[in-house]
Amino acid sequence: MSNPWIAIGALALVALAIPLSMMAVSSLLRPSVPEQGKRAVYESGEVPTGDTRIKFNIQYYMVALLFVVFDIETVLIFPWTVIYQDAVANVGLAEALVPMLAFIGILVIGLGWAWRNGAVKWVRSPRAQAQRVEQ
Amino acid sequence: MIPLQSNSETPFPSIIADLLGLDASEPAVLIVLSVVAAGVIATVLLTMTAVLGIWGKRKITAAFTDRIAVNRHGPYGLLIIPADAVRLLSKELIVPSEVDRPAWDLAPLIIASSALLGFAVIPFGHGLQLADPEIGLAYVFAVASIASLGLLMAGYASNNKFSFLGGLRAVAQNLAYEIPLVITGASVVIFAGSLRMSTIVEVQQQTLVSLGGIAIPSWFAFVNPFAFALFLIANLAEVGRNPFDIPEAPTEIVAGYQTEYSSVYFVLIYLGEFIHIFLGGAIIATIFLGGASGPVLPGVVWFFIKMISVYLFTQWARSAVPRVRVDQLIQIGWKGMLVLSFANLVLTAVIVGVAAA
Repeated sequence: MSNPWIAIGALALVALAIPLSMMAVSSLLRPSVPEQGKRAVYESGEVPTGDTRIKFNIQYYMVALLFVVFDIETVLIFPWTVIYQDAVANVGLAEALVPMLAFIGILVIGLGWAWRNGAVKWVRSPRAQAQRVEQ
Repeated sequence: MIPLQSNSETPFPSIIADLLGLDASEPAVLIVLSVVAAGVIATVLLTMTAVLGIWGKRKITAAFTDRIAVNRHGPYGLLIIPADAVRLLSKELIVPSEVDRPAWDLAPLIIASSALLGFAVIPFGHGLQLADPEIGLAYVFAVASIASLGLLMAGYASNNKFSFLGGLRAVAQNLAYEIPLVITGASVVIFAGSLRMSTIVEVQQQTLVSLGGIAIPSWFAFVNPFAFALFLIANLAEVGRNPFDIPEAPTEIVAGYQTEYSSVYFVLIYLGEFIHIFLGGAIIATIFLGGASGPVLPGVVWFFIKMISVYLFTQWARSAVPRVRVDQLIQIGWKGMLVLSFANLVLTAVIVGVAAA
């Protein structure tokens, strides 16, 4: 029996070798003309102001947290989908389906809770709200 | 009809071994042949990106906006491809001040490599599949989502406010649409009863209904059109094309996470994005459109027709559909797509269960 992971590893090698060789070719071809001001970060042509690593909207954190919950759930759903048809044939519909419905139901309640708490509702910052112009 | 499923778990290297009269069960032989086969697949993908990403994209967008686009270099402007390749590779690499150096350099590499890696388990045709592990579908979802890591690294390491916003948006978007994508994929597994890509394709070859003597195969797009539509939309969001292109929305945040990338790094990110679109097309072709099957033409041709159709669909969406706002994006993802994909999963399970019982 041939091991599929050898072939996948081979593709990983090729997938790394291609970008690396492109970088190598480019480093041979490209010029380097350092000039004053060239290395400034792009800010629409203005002189950059302030720091980039600032406090950002908490919403990004909330959806990431929610994602972790549902991502673990998908890991648990996949094995069930694989054996589902066999399970229905062997132990019957009720025993194969109802536990998973309960599991998904609990998660949907969790989503409803997050929904009610506004975790998936994009909040406007007070400053943006104050500057908003009504049409 | 040639069976789509081969006995080997490394079909493509085994075919090469048979052609050369070598023994593929020998590990050393298998490693060498796998590298050769991987090289073939990577070359095909790079060629596709060169033709469709550099030339085709311009022609398609031009057709939508009633322009001609490239037509000076060679027939139909095709020689723009080598010209552009040389131009982009020989551009100066401008490293902005205060970038996070290892992360900034690694991000384009991750984006390009992870996209290519997904193609390891895609069955292009009869036996034209590099590897066929038992967990094929889970593998392809896992590998395809590594790219979000690269996008976040690119956005955060660039020390640019536009990049920073773009990186955050890219991650928020990929997180929101990853779950509907995977859950909808899981609803297909209920029909197939296996994560192995060749089995999923094999199951779709049975006849669904016969209409006037024409047998309609049970492609999962026909069996469950609802799941197909959901997957298509979630896939658009995963590859970051309109209406979900806010991570690099040019009219809002310049170019998002790739604002500070030039020269070869830009090429790698661009390449990675296009190969991701092709990977999305390949996944859809495999799990919803019957893989490499179709009348008259050989299977490989059909596979590429299906894959490129999905690419054309993303290009159509790019030109025809307006962009959503970030708050709309999150709400569509978490309140719409997620709920619908769970409804799809539960309904599929109930219907399949009742039919089987």
